[in-house]
Amino acid sequence: MSEEAESGTMEGKPVVLVEGLHKRFGATHVLKGIDLAVEKSQVVCVIGPSGSGKSTLLRCMAFLDRYDEGRVFIENRLLGYRETDGELTRDSERNIDSVRSVIGMVFQHYNLWPHMTALGNVTEALRVVRKLGRREAEHIGMEMLGKVGLNDKAHDHPARLSGGQQQRTAIARALAIRPHVMFFDEPTSALDPELVGEVLQVMQELASEGMTMVVVTHEMGFAAHVADEVVFMDDGEVVERGSPDDIFKRPRSDRLREFLDTWRSRAI
Amino acid sequence: MSFDIDIVFRYGPLLLSGLWTTVYVCALASLLAVAAGLAAALLYGLPFRAVKLLCRAYIEIMRGTPILILLFILYYGGPSAGLTLEAETVGIVGLGFYGGGYFAEIFRAGFQSIPPGQIEAARMLGIPRPAIVARIQIPQMLTLIIPPSTNQVIILTKESALLSIITVAELTKNTTQMVNETFAVVEPYVAVALLYWLIIEGIALAGGALERRFSRAS
Repeated sequence: MSEEAESGTMEGKPVVLVEGLHKRFGATHVLKGIDLAVEKSQVVCVIGPSGSGKSTLLRCMAFLDRYDEGRVFIENRLLGYRETDGELTRDSERNIDSVRSVIGMVFQHYNLWPHMTALGNVTEALRVVRKLGRREAEHIGMEMLGKVGLNDKAHDHPARLSGGQQQRTAIARALAIRPHVMFFDEPTSALDPELVGEVLQVMQELASEGMTMVVVTHEMGFAAHVADEVVFMDDGEVVERGSPDDIFKRPRSDRLREFLDTWRSRAI
Repeated sequence: MSFDIDIVFRYGPLLLSGLWTTVYVCALASLLAVAAGLAAALLYGLPFRAVKLLCRAYIEIMRGTPILILLFILYYGGPSAGLTLEAETVGIVGLGFYGGGYFAEIFRAGFQSIPPGQIEAARMLGIPRPAIVARIQIPQMLTLIIPPSTNQVIILTKESALLSIITVAELTKNTTQMVNETFAVVEPYVAVALLYWLIIEGIALAGGALERRFSRAS
């Protein structure tokens, strides 16, 4: 499948395609019909107030949360369900794993495994899923840690790393499986302000290398400078989408204007 | 009151044979208890209502019934259900599944102590569930579950004295025989108390060593 993606048969097809996505938690309607297409090498930033549903959208796109209606396609394959005559039934874990295998995910709270070193975290999937030998896995692991500037921390446990270093380790861990698309779920929201920059820099480098990325973020500066498309969500809906210039300089809706005003008044 | 140490030496072989029986019955029962407890805790975590209910029922029955009643049901009631087992086997199986009910709760608390985000990260990397349990959850749980597990093995070992009632020739049964044959009371019971204390001290030491080893590793 990865060959197919690289050989160009995916040409023109979005890497991630979301159609009419709905999600409810009990009586709460969290996502109300989201459509989204992410093309190869595109960086899409999802912004919006807390509780707007942006993290839930990303989690549904990774099938960490089950969606109730609509479809999520990853490289043209339906994620989470099998469709027969328009009916969706939950797919097997093995198929879900297979469709998801091209997604690298980075979480707000890093979610590193504290009993393993940074290198152990990065090589775990290589050893267990790819069944690589220790030497080969560690070679790739060091390469990935190098990419995020953490070669010298390879043998430290997460507890000995700063928040920024932990998040960079988590990025290296996600990159180790050579994903075709990276999902970032508020990757800097749990960080002390002075540590945000180092993580954003790594993400910016990834973007400039052509990585396809979906980033749920509160970092408007990052969205303005790195995103190809910015999606503004509020109350479970996409209210506006467009280029960073459209969104930040020429907001059309009151809701976006209000959101940007609040953010600007806080930024000073 | 005099203490006739000679009686104890005279009955040394009988006491040692009882000690050996207690040790291996408790060791096997503990292994079974850990296995049953782990299985119940893992099944309890599956998203199937019926399986969850079944595990809950197992835990509740084991915790809600005196071990002696369970042993009676297995030993005296078993044959009427076509299940005729040696007394020792009943002891191992009874104590094992009984302890399993408690171990299930220890393991369940252990699994719950791992933040779900760690499991999500592993799932996103395609790591299969058995590997998540063995390589991510259990290693982190160990420091947390070793102390209550050590306690549980100690309790199980002390409860094994009840196996004397269903005729297993373990430490307490052999001591009772010694009392009946010598009419001495103090010497046999003091001796047997010391022997139990030795076993339990051994378990506590082993538990402590394991605890130190895994807290260093994490």
